[in-house]
Amino acid sequence: MQVQGSHTISAPREKVWALLQDPQVLARCVPGVTEMIATAENQYNAVLNVAVGPVKGKFQAKVTITDRQPPQQMTLSIDAKSPSGIVTATGTLKLSELEGGTTQIDWEGEPKLRGMLATLAGRLIGGITQQQADVFFANLDKEASSPQPA
Amino acid sequence: MSLVPVTININGTPTPAQVEPRMLLVQFLRDELELTGTHVGCDTSQCGACTVSLNGEAVKSCTLFAVQADGMDVQTIEGIGSMDDLHPIQAAFWEQHGLQCGFCTPGMIMASAEIIRRNPDPSEEEIREQLGGNFCRCTGYHNIVKAISSAAAVMREKGAEAGQAADD
Amino acid sequence: MTQLPDSNYKAPDGPQKYIGKAVKRVEDPRFITGQGHYTDDINVHGQLHAAMLRSPYAHAKIGQIDASAALALKGVHAVLTGQDLADAKVGSIPTGWLLPDLKIPPHPAIAHGEVHYVGDIVAVVIAESRALAEDAVALIEVDLEPLDAVSLGSQALAQGAAEVHPEAPGNVAFNWEIGDAAAADELFKQADHVVSLKIRNHRLVPNAIEPRASLAQYQRSSEEFTLHTTSQNPHIHRLMLAAFVLGIPEHKLRVISPDVGGGFGSKIFQYPEEVIVLFAAKKLNRPVKWAARRSESFVSDMQGRDHESEAQLALSKDGKMLALKVDTIANMGAYLTTFAPAVPTYLYGTLLNGVYKFGAVHAKVTGVFTNTVPVDAYRGAGRPEATYLVERIVSKAASELGMDAAEIRRKNFIQPEDFPYQTPVALVYDSGNYEPALDKALGMLGYQDLLKEQAEGRKNGRYIGIGFSTYVEACGLAPSALVGQLGAQAGQWESAVVRVMPTGKIEVLTGSHSHGQGHETTFAQIAAEEFGIPMEDVVIVHGDTGKMPFGWGTYGSRSAAVGGSALKMALGRIKDKATKIAAHLLEAAPEDIEVADGQFKVKGVPEGGKSFFDVALMAHLAHNLPEGMEPGLEAQYMYDPKNFVYPFGTHIAVVELDADTGHVKMIKYVCVDDCGPLINPLVVEGQVHGGIAQGFGQAILEETVYDEEGNMLTGSFMEYSMPRAEDLPMFEIDHTVTPSPHNPLGVKGIGESGTIASTAAVANAVNDALRAFGHHHVDMPFTPEKVWRAMKGGVQDLGQAADD
Repeated sequence: MQVQGSHTISAPREKVWALLQDPQVLARCVPGVTEMIATAENQYNAVLNVAVGPVKGKFQAKVTITDRQPPQQMTLSIDAKSPSGIVTATGTLKLSELEGGTTQIDWEGEPKLRGMLATLAGRLIGGITQQQADVFFANLDKEASSPQPA
Repeated sequence: MSLVPVTININGTPTPAQVEPRMLLVQFLRDELELTGTHVGCDTSQCGACTVSLNGEAVKSCTLFAVQADGMDVQTIEGIGSMDDLHPIQAAFWEQHGLQCGFCTPGMIMASAEIIRRNPDPSEEEIREQLGGNFCRCTGYHNIVKAISSAAAVMREKGAEAGQAADD
Repeated sequence: MTQLPDSNYKAPDGPQKYIGKAVKRVEDPRFITGQGHYTDDINVHGQLHAAMLRSPYAHAKIGQIDASAALALKGVHAVLTGQDLADAKVGSIPTGWLLPDLKIPPHPAIAHGEVHYVGDIVAVVIAESRALAEDAVALIEVDLEPLDAVSLGSQALAQGAAEVHPEAPGNVAFNWEIGDAAAADELFKQADHVVSLKIRNHRLVPNAIEPRASLAQYQRSSEEFTLHTTSQNPHIHRLMLAAFVLGIPEHKLRVISPDVGGGFGSKIFQYPEEVIVLFAAKKLNRPVKWAARRSESFVSDMQGRDHESEAQLALSKDGKMLALKVDTIANMGAYLTTFAPAVPTYLYGTLLNGVYKFGAVHAKVTGVFTNTVPVDAYRGAGRPEATYLVERIVSKAASELGMDAAEIRRKNFIQPEDFPYQTPVALVYDSGNYEPALDKALGMLGYQDLLKEQAEGRKNGRYIGIGFSTYVEACGLAPSALVGQLGAQAGQWESAVVRVMPTGKIEVLTGSHSHGQGHETTFAQIAAEEFGIPMEDVVIVHGDTGKMPFGWGTYGSRSAAVGGSALKMALGRIKDKATKIAAHLLEAAPEDIEVADGQFKVKGVPEGGKSFFDVALMAHLAHNLPEGMEPGLEAQYMYDPKNFVYPFGTHIAVVELDADTGHVKMIKYVCVDDCGPLINPLVVEGQVHGGIAQGFGQAILEETVYDEEGNMLTGSFMEYSMPRAEDLPMFEIDHTVTPSPHNPLGVKGIGESGTIASTAAVANAVNDALRAFGHHHVDMPFTPEKVWRAMKGGVQDLGQAADD
């Protein structure tokens, strides 16, 4: 299922781009992240605790950035495993500068579930993705508007 | 995991126990108290095989934790009637062949009690609608609906008699 | 020695005391009071619990399995993998029915090397509690390398499709055909009309409300195993586990199937979990229990149906059916389980003749492997698929030719004088009289008035549909030699032991098994009838290999026709001996003794006589028996039927479509079944009710959906829509009685008829309503969305591009 969304972040594009490259920031913004380590250039390992409806449990995720066009676009692929199933997704983020020093992020992605997850959450994945994205971008917006990076 | 003390009034008997916080009421009934008449037929709260009465209302005992029932009255199929003294609903299920494999039956009987409690004279349509939370794979519901109607009639009659007796 | 009664049917001389009576069920008191004793209710001292790690992938290569974190949990006793079973030389789970050139890939209880469907077991944790075992499962790390997968039968046959097993090139498990293709082609040349149909008989999950469970115990001192398990046929499990899988000497394995909460076929088969708990119980020297969560049942109970078919029906211009040709792809899932190869072949192709006089029928079936849960027998097993196809194409023919759906059937029925009837697809129908059942059903329905109401309604935007299913089915499995020729690796006779005790109480041991059918009542009726003794004096014992000599269990509507007949024959042996004892005590000739109401009397002498108790006691005391007679009063009979039995009837569904929502409401359901003499009308009608509901479920609600990668998308009751009380009306049921000539009770099976008939009746009813929108065929299941689209013109008749 194709999902997409659009969010405005209250910071200039360069700053938003920089935030998106920082594993520390991502760890704080992605809901449920307990651990995020850069394992190679363009590659992170993350541990997420997710509890959204039937999608529950500890996920071991591998995030690879497959395309990076600073500061306007990046594509990443995610492969997250849990005992109840596997989530794979590719997603693209496009950053465009808005007036007043803010940035619009248009994103789209295609999450795919396997295993019991597909069984239990298949019809919910669109909504879950939207919800998780809303939380992520709200967090990112907070990071962007905080005067000092933590 | 640390245990939590609870006292649940099970079929009229206050029953103290130490339970894991994550233990479901149905597990408590089945595994701790060996009240195995309450069954588990699903893990998503659709099938109704685990229906019991909590403070007089039907609940699916897989939808709450044992600790949530602390201090409350729980009635199970074992408490509603016995072989020597069948509840009119139990008798009606027998009379009308309202069961085959018997697995959904305890939950059906507890749900039936709730239907009759809400309306002592339920229509066929009401019965069918209110049985929506209980699955039976054997009977096609035909005789279950008949059993509930006939139990309701018997209970109304008994109620009327009891009322009469009280008036006399 | 007097002649034993022949196993052919002889109508009773006079009124019967128990048989035919709506006796309340003997087993019910325990169920209505919560005292039922199901496998998961049993807990034994020292018991451990198993939890399964199931594959999240439909097809993957198994790499490293790291169980260290799981094993580090206190209370975890073991983690088992496919390697452990391979090292211990545990055998593959066998296929119990062979076909020519059948490809049988290995089926280990725990996957080894590769997993082949979502739900295939990768590893097993054995721990002190179920919760702990499940916690530990979450800690096992498995390297699974995904492989290409395929889930739809026709796609598995396509060029370049993912290969499920290297043992089955092109994913073909078997090619099978029946009937005379040349004869069919010849009749098609003579036809005035050819009706074509392309249909999917979609996949179902049986969903007995009791999830499967197994508890294994091992006694080290005697090396004996006891397995409590949810089974329809404990002896088959013992045989397969002993002889093929675990190598346990058969006499050291006792399989007990206590109260079982519904089976519908799904509890026939040898499952991996039973192998696993037995293996673990010995390895750990502790009892080991496993009980399925419903979410596991969805991906581990063998599923049903899943055919894609194309059919052509040749007719003359007056509506005479000449010939039928069928080409079916049967999705077998990832492995071939116990009865799987028989279901889409001998239980399907042979039934494609229906109740009609065809000149020729030809069917071709391709069994296909896919990365899905295996498919095996589910209530009706092959016969609902055949009936759906035949009855749907006949109704479509009526629709296309502008004929009345009842009359086209009547015109083509096999006539009473034609029986026994040799069909063009191997079967010989025993007895039948199809028109009276149709007429009775039409009368109950008020057909002519309903047709008027329907026509009126259409003018006013009210869409009523009337659907027929005039079915026949073959059940009472089955003559052993015959099924042996067809590939069964099993016999299909049944056993009965009648043990009369000194006090005249009777214990009946049957190899048949009740998981809701009510044997404890109906078999007691048969036994009590024989001597006119009280039913309370008879107890029926079943479901324990430690008690009964052997038995093939219950499926294929065989309990009454085969198990009941075995009982009747064993009772005959008891009666024969008891009569001789009574004659001896009464100083009369055995021919002059009659028995009624528990009394043996000399014919024409109302006074005196010996009670059943007197005779039973003397048989045991042996103080005064006929010269040379062996003491005791016990008999055994292994009854092997001479033929299948062929119940039939007419089912009519009436539905109304909601023009705004597409919701299908079944407003009336009428049926007339003929299963020969009814042993207990209450039980028979209960079987019919439940069967109708299941068939209705397939037509309207239930569907197992896999995506293209083999993920099951309907794995809980939230996605898989089960029939609820409010979906169904009260059913109007009646019977005709045409005894089977070849079993001693004259009975035919009734356990599956409802399901076999009703799917087609309901589907035909919806299609009849959709004729108002220009459709000749829309495929089930009739979800509101599909019906709404069809009413809006959005659904094309499936597969009719060429001629529509």
